[in-house]
Amino acid sequence: MSEAAPLDSTADAGRAAAANRPPLMRAEHIAKSYTDGKVTALVDVSLEIDRGEYLAIVGKSGSGKSTLLNMLGALDRPSSGEVYFDGQPLSKCADLDQFRSQHLGFVFQAFNLLPILTALENVQVPMFETSRSASQRQARALELLEMVGVAHRARHLPKALSIGERQRVAIARALANDPPLLLADEPTGNLDSQTAEQIIALFERLHAERGTTLVLVTHDRDLARRAQRVLRMQDGRISSEANS
Amino acid sequence: MHFVSLVLKNIGRRRFRSTFTVVGVAVAAGAVAALMGLSTGFEQTLVDMYRQRGIDLVVVRTGVTERLTSSLDARLEQTLAGLPEVRQAAPELLDVVSLEDANLVGVTVYGWRPDSLVFDHLRLLAGKNLAPDAGRSVLLGTVLAKDLGKRVGDRVEVYAGVPFQVVGIFQSYNVYENAAMIVPLAQLQQLTNRRGRVTLFDLVLRDRADAQATDQLIHRIDGLGRGLTAMTTGTYVSTSAQLRLGRAMAVLVSTIALVMGTLGVLNTMVMAVFERTQEIGILRAIGWRRGRVLRMILLESVLLSLAGAVLGTLAAVLLCRLLGHLPGAGGLVSGQIPPLVIVACLALAPVLGLLGGLYPAWHGSHLLPTEALRHE
Repeated sequence: MSEAAPLDSTADAGRAAAANRPPLMRAEHIAKSYTDGKVTALVDVSLEIDRGEYLAIVGKSGSGKSTLLNMLGALDRPSSGEVYFDGQPLSKCADLDQFRSQHLGFVFQAFNLLPILTALENVQVPMFETSRSASQRQARALELLEMVGVAHRARHLPKALSIGERQRVAIARALANDPPLLLADEPTGNLDSQTAEQIIALFERLHAERGTTLVLVTHDRDLARRAQRVLRMQDGRISSEANS
Repeated sequence: MHFVSLVLKNIGRRRFRSTFTVVGVAVAAGAVAALMGLSTGFEQTLVDMYRQRGIDLVVVRTGVTERLTSSLDARLEQTLAGLPEVRQAAPELLDVVSLEDANLVGVTVYGWRPDSLVFDHLRLLAGKNLAPDAGRSVLLGTVLAKDLGKRVGDRVEVYAGVPFQVVGIFQSYNVYENAAMIVPLAQLQQLTNRRGRVTLFDLVLRDRADAQATDQLIHRIDGLGRGLTAMTTGTYVSTSAQLRLGRAMAVLVSTIALVMGTLGVLNTMVMAVFERTQEIGILRAIGWRRGRVLRMILLESVLLSLAGAVLGTLAAVLLCRLLGHLPGAGGLVSGQIPPLVIVACLALAPVLGLLGGLYPAWHGSHLLPTEALRHE
């Protein structure tokens, strides 16, 4: 694997400016139920996520942590309650697609790269919704692949990459439109411990050097303890909260 | 990477299915091009035939739909030739025969007077023209002579037990005439028991550029009260019952072919969207708008259709050329598909692609990201 390039740092300036602003994200009494209320996934969940925070959400399968991530990521709407981004309610947002494109980066457990596209092309996919030209998209994608340390694999299809490399490409894709918030759903779930450590180290670099707000869903307690704050989910509720 | 590159990669990822879809569309587009091309080409062939003869109007019996059954008194020639706008009037008797020995069905026999103006546009390749006292003489079109294997001096049994001597081989600019034969009018009247009768009159006008005068002449002939209907050669050809039937059949079969082609595209795109549900979920999750997903699927569908249409139209052009050289059909089809038909076929492709891709594209673009991501 090639050496990762240094990250550009805007964290200090960003943190200073954030002092008087509302939290980056706030969930207020949100609940989510499916099939006419027969299945309840979330019950009266409220939380705030500050700018530049590194938050881990832990819990067993079915505890509601992925559902909560979907609400925070505007992939789904709560049955009741409200989610705010930078003080603005998402329920009033006319274009959630654009919101996700501009403000959020997603990293999935299964990487979810498009199999027909090379690493370089996969990273360009979110940029189709921006005004960048084709050459600008490519330059940006290459820059991001360098940042996550897989530029030398840019022309390879996902099937030719190791699982660690795939997740790095997925992280580069999540950063394509320079979002302030990165949401990762079990990003190390499919990785061996050594590769998982490398990926978490990369997340921590992004958080430390770029000031990216990071929300990590995991069932790995050791991993979660490395976050600044840990929320534990149980039966669709936040059962406990702890600061590292 | 350009957006269209992604679309092309999606098409290329399932080569067999994409190929079969393209072939399906090609068959549909090829059928449309060939059928409509043959239909309109045949019609154009007939219109050209009259134009090359220099004929401006055709006069037939009023109300007749089957042109061969038109029967007029040959003496009406004097009446028509006497009209001030008319320079010449030429009677024609038509018949269609089968020359079974040569396996030729539907050979047109023209009964013309040897001094008729309609001979002017023909070029004699061998022999001589029909003489005024020609008797049982026949002129063969060059394609017919070749199909029959006849030369000047040979005999052709036009009707059973009635041999005609080949006195000349002619060439017309028109493929339809090249597959026909010409016998003296009097002979054909006698052999078909239509003495003193003709099928139609060809009129040559003094001033063909004067459209208003031509319209007035048509009305005057219609009003003669002799059961006559005059029409321009274009109208005469386009209102032919056989041509109308042929055109209707071509349109019907073309419509069926297009529906089948659309269903092929629909099936392919529905399968593609179903198989790529999770991918569509990812695209939506990372911020792709519904419109972009819609455009991606529709563009795939349109490009598949366009590829099929190009392939099918090309195949139809080659097929028609081949048909034009076949002995049986060589005289009936020009072998050329009119450019307008080719353009129409290529223009239809995006429509077919849009129709076939619309539902899958709508479905794909309306997938909820969370549900699509859960799809296995």
